[in-house]
Formats: sequence, structure tokens, C-alpha cells
Amino acid sequence: MPEITMPRLSDSMEEGTILKWLVSEGDEVKRGQPIAEIETDKANMTYEADSDGTVTELVASEGDTLAIGEVIAVIGEGDSSGAERKQEEKAEEPEDKEEPEPQEREEEPEPQKPRRTAPSPNGGGERVKASPVARRMAGEMGVELAELEGSGPGGRIVKADVEAASKGGATRAEPAPAAEPERGEAGAKGQVEIHELTRLQRTITRRMAESKATAPDFLLEAEVDMTAAVELRARLKQVADPAPSYNDMVVKAAASALREHPRVNAAYRDGKFELYSRVNVGVAVAAQDALVVPTIFDADSKSLGRIASDARALAGKVREGKITPPEVSGGTFTVSNLGMYGIDRFSAVINPPQAAILTVGALKKRAVPDDRGRIRAREMMALTLVCDHRILYGADGAAFLARVRALLESPLSLAL
Amino acid sequence: MPEMRYREALNEALREEMEADESVFLMGEDIGVFQGAFKVTKGLLEEFGERRVRDTPISENTIVGMGVGSAMVGLRPVVELMTVNFSLLAMDQIVNHAAAVRYMFGGQVSCPLVIRMPGGAGHQLGPTHSHSFEAWYLHVPGLLVAVPSTPADAKGLLKAAIRDDNPVIFIEHETLYGQKGEVPENGGPARFGEAAIRREGDDVTIVGISRMAVTAAKAAETLSSEHEIEAELIDPRTLRPLDMDTIVESVKKTNRAVIAEEGWPHGGVGANLAALIQEQAFDYLDSPVLRVTGADVPMPYSKPLEQAAFPHEEHVVQAALATFRDV
Repeated sequence: MPEITMPRLSDSMEEGTILKWLVSEGDEVKRGQPIAEIETDKANMTYEADSDGTVTELVASEGDTLAIGEVIAVIGEGDSSGAERKQEEKAEEPEDKEEPEPQEREEEPEPQKPRRTAPSPNGGGERVKASPVARRMAGEMGVELAELEGSGPGGRIVKADVEAASKGGATRAEPAPAAEPERGEAGAKGQVEIHELTRLQRTITRRMAESKATAPDFLLEAEVDMTAAVELRARLKQVADPAPSYNDMVVKAAASALREHPRVNAAYRDGKFELYSRVNVGVAVAAQDALVVPTIFDADSKSLGRIASDARALAGKVREGKITPPEVSGGTFTVSNLGMYGIDRFSAVINPPQAAILTVGALKKRAVPDDRGRIRAREMMALTLVCDHRILYGADGAAFLARVRALLESPLSLAL
Repeated sequence: MPEMRYREALNEALREEMEADESVFLMGEDIGVFQGAFKVTKGLLEEFGERRVRDTPISENTIVGMGVGSAMVGLRPVVELMTVNFSLLAMDQIVNHAAAVRYMFGGQVSCPLVIRMPGGAGHQLGPTHSHSFEAWYLHVPGLLVAVPSTPADAKGLLKAAIRDDNPVIFIEHETLYGQKGEVPENGGPARFGEAAIRREGDDVTIVGISRMAVTAAKAAETLSSEHEIEAELIDPRTLRPLDMDTIVESVKKTNRAVIAEEGWPHGGVGANLAALIQEQAFDYLDSPVLRVTGADVPMPYSKPLEQAAFPHEEHVVQAALATFRDV
């Protein structure tokens, strides 16, 4: 009959306090099922049964503080022998069991299975699928594996998931948040704070420098009359949730134009042109202290509404730090928008090895002469296409940008 | 540093060691007058004469047997077998004798023999000339096994192999003979059991064997540029002794391992290495150790089939991605 002893739940722990029993005497428990909440010197933690069985005795009471190694409960074997024992015990001490069992059980169903994979109908809980390193770290950090959703292959809980859980939302994209800023010597510039780069920042640094050092880039600019697009959006707002933004329209227009201009949906690599069959548009999203470009896959074949909802979901994940590597890779083209800051137009660094990046400025009312020379107020927006001249020449880029403009100026087809 | 081809680096190692030590001599089929099937022994007959560069009949078991005998009496023979497939004819001499004599004679004799031979597919030489048998020799205690993938390692490891008192199986790769690379001038012998980290990365460890170290290097660049995955690429350089410390240290950092080899999957180099990694780094793994291997078939002659039967860059990329997500 295994005795459950006060576990060592932190390195410095010497004793622990039973805050709450999550099971009662007589309960059947499964391996991995939370049985008690224990307060340690560091935190309150849930302690799980490490084998199947029946709780025969809760030795410690709630509120008791016991040293590590002292017996807190006894769990008998769960199979037939355990059942026999239970019956014997029932026969021997009927009066003890009566009052705690029924009511406590009703009160406690919720902590027993916190969001864990549903137990199979026969009552056997499934083993949580976690990698060895995730399992070890979860143990060390006191993270409850059963409460995590795995991001690895087949839903496996991996190290990044445990790290994220222990830090409350950090992700693989930002695995190690920069350490506390270091303070350097005070000098003519005053105190210097030194920040180590996160891994994501290191990647950005390297790739941006590589792009500028290797890609001979040039800019093409076009002013787009967005008046019709503004009207279209006002109408879509009444029927669509989320209503597509102007940026979503640009993504959709660019994706359609990319399909027609394969050299833009391409890359120069190692002396060769690579043309891609899928049109995957990356949308630059500013994250805390970093830049992340989640990908809208097959944007050319998605509806404007779908692009809008995908973009919302991806941006949300970036802000919550929950974006995963597959969601930020595979892009064949990038759209970057600083219009919301009132920036009229801007240049950007090509996301290598892509052929080009399209930047979107702010939408502004401007006085524009119409065909007959009459001045009219129109909603204007600047698009800038930054091209890698190794693969994209002036005329190619211009034809593409002209097509994007035409689509945005007659936007009805975008809404199809 | 001068650039030279893999075959030239091997040639230079042979020449330098023959110059430095009179007891070093060469034997093999067509290595003298014809200067070697892959021209590794070019110019050596002329320079060192028939006594030290000996053409032999087609008789692998005898060639290796003479090598074992002459090594036991104090010479340092370097024998060339035309392909690793042909070495199977000499298995008795290699496994029962070369690998075991030092043990059987209680250390009274040693067997400083080097057996050079090319392996690997890619030249449409069919199933009797194109296999990768690293795993067969890796299996045998008493043998050292070298699998150089660069000209510098080809030279350094061959020099080390000739100077070592143990029998060394030295497996070259047919498609690497023409590869150029920098080779240090006046470079000494390399160290057996010292892996090279060809590229540093935090995300996944890729161990590439022989030519697969070259293939994996390309895969690592693609992983970086297209998938933002920074692979750490390890070339073990010798499979016996095997530098597990470097591999395990890397896996502890990346939590993921992919092994790329050209040999067959069952009982292969990768099978063995995967077992060692999980034994030594189980608690650091975030994914099963994945292998990229040659196909489980005799090497086809047909060009498209042959190409399909050994791994390419995209297979290594796919395996690395599969340690992160469903692909």
C-alpha cells in the first residue's frame, strides 16, 4: 500500500502545508490526477497522484504543515485487490466513512479535471503527450502539463509550451526575454542601459543587414485614389464582422496581382530565380520590441472577408506572443503599413529572399483635379514598392504596382 | 590557405606521409600505372617507385591480407580498394584479423593499416559499386572509421590514420573527389574523435555523415532563410571514435536532432546514433530523434531511381521541420 509523502516541490522547500484535499477517502484516483493543493515556500502547487489506486486514508488534514517525507495520505492499489481492501475497510469502519465522502465529492468535481484531455468513457485518463524535456521542465517549474495545449507535432507539449506557461504567455518567437537591463558606466551620455537582444531581435538584425548588403533595391511609388474603396468599406462594415480594413484590401489586391505577375511572387537565390506556386502574403506586425511578419497563406484564393479574419487572428497571436514558427514562415511577399501613424509614404527593407515589399501610407483627403480639371477632394493613399533589382526590373515592378492600383481604384472585384 | 580538391588533398597526405616515413607504402588495384580509379595516387608511382606503390591483381582479400601481415611486422601499409562494395570480399581479413590481432596477441603486435575506399551513390555505378557501408565497419571493435567530408579533413584525417597504430577504415565519397576547399598549408594530422561544428544554431541539431554533411549544410541555409530555423550542423568526421560529447551538448541546447546519412535505415549509422542520443540526452529531447537515410533498396542504376534512393537537401529540411510540427 503506497504511502504518499510530502513531496519536494521546490529546491529550497523543507516543509509544506496542505491547503486543500482535492480527493476524499474512498475515491478512486488515476495517475496524474491532482489530489492536493500544497503550499510551499515558493508557491501554491497542485500535487498529482503518481499511481492509480484508491485513497484509503488522508493522514494529514487541511492546514497541517509537514516536513518533506512525512506521510500525508495512503493510496491502495486500484484494481481488484484494492477493491477488496476497500470493502474490508468499509466493513470494519463504517461510521468513519459516512460524512465526509458524499458532500465533499459534490463540491470538488472541478479541480479534478482542469481542461485535461477528456477521460475515455471507461474511466482511464489518457497519458498527456509531452516531450521528455517538456516533462522534466514542467516538473522543475511546477507547471501542470495536463493544463497545457501542445504546439508540437500531433499536439505534443514541447519545451516552448512549458516555458510559455511558466512565464505566462512568452512564446517560441520570444523564447528568452532579454535579461534585466545591465547598467554600464556613466559617461558623457549619462548612464548606459545595455539590453541583450532576444533571439528574435538577433534574427531581425542579421536578416535586415543581409538584405541591405545584398539586394540592390529601388523604389516605385504610386498614389492610389481610394475613394471607391472607402465607400466599399463603409458598405462592407454593415454586413461583415470583422469589416475588412484598407490593409486587408491592399493584401487582397496585391495577392491577385501577384498571381498575374509571377516574377514578383519569387526570389533571387544563389544565381537562380525561384518562382513560387503559392501566393503567401506576409503582413508586418509590430510586436513589443520586435517585428513579426505572420503569413496569410494562399491569399490570392481567399476572400476579402477571410483575409480580414486571418489577419485579425494572426495579429492577435503576435500581440499575445502566441505566434508559432510555421505561421511566420513561408511568405512569398510582404506588405507593411504605417498609415495608422499618419506616415504618408515610406521605404522598407526587403524581407529576404523575397523579390519585393509593398508599403502602405496613410489615407488622406487631398485636392485632386479630375478629368476636366475640376478640383475634387479625393481619398488618396501612397503605395511604395521596394524591389530587388536582381530579379525585378523597373518595368516588371511598375506593371505589378499599376495592377494593384487599378484593383484598389475599382475595388468591387476585391469583395468577390 | 590554398584551395585544392578532395582528391588532391588525399594525394598530398599520401605524399607527405610517404616522404616522412619510409615504412609507409601503397597497394591496390590500378593505383600505380593507372594512378588510381579516382586519381588519388596520381604521380606517386613515379615519385616513389614500384617498391612503395604496388599495383595488385584483383584480389581484395589478399590485398588486405598482405596489408595486415606487413603491418604486423612493422610497415605502415595504405591499401586502396576500388569501392567500399569490394571490401566485402576482404571482410575476413578486416574483421577477423586486422581488427582483432592486437587483441589476440595481447598487445604484442599491432596493425597500423589504412584501408582507403570510396562509397556513396550519384554516378550511376549500380548496386555493386555505390553503397554506403559505414555502419558495417562502425560495428566492429578494433577498427577506427573515418568519413571526411571536406578536403581539409580528407588530408588531416588520412595523415592521422597513417600515423595511428590501429587499423583504420577510411571511407571517401565518390562525389566529393572533385570538391574544392581550403586546406591549411603544412597542416598536421587531424584528431580522431573530434567532431566539427560546421554551423552554429539554437533550434535543431543536424548530424551529417560524409557527403550528407555537405547536403545538410545547404539544408541548414534553407531552414534559416525560409523557415527561421537555425540549425546547428555537426560533422562527426570519425564514427569510431565518435565525439558524442559535442553531439549531446548540442542536443541539450537545441532539444532536437536529425541525423542524415546515405546508408540503409535498418541498423544504420543513424539508428546507432539515435540510440546513443536518447540514452544520453533523453530528458533534453523535444521531439523523437529523426533520421534521413538512403532508401531501403539496392542502389539502382537508373539515374532518376538512383537520385531518389539517397537523401537530398529537401529531405533534410523536411525532417528538421518535422521536429517542430506536423509536415
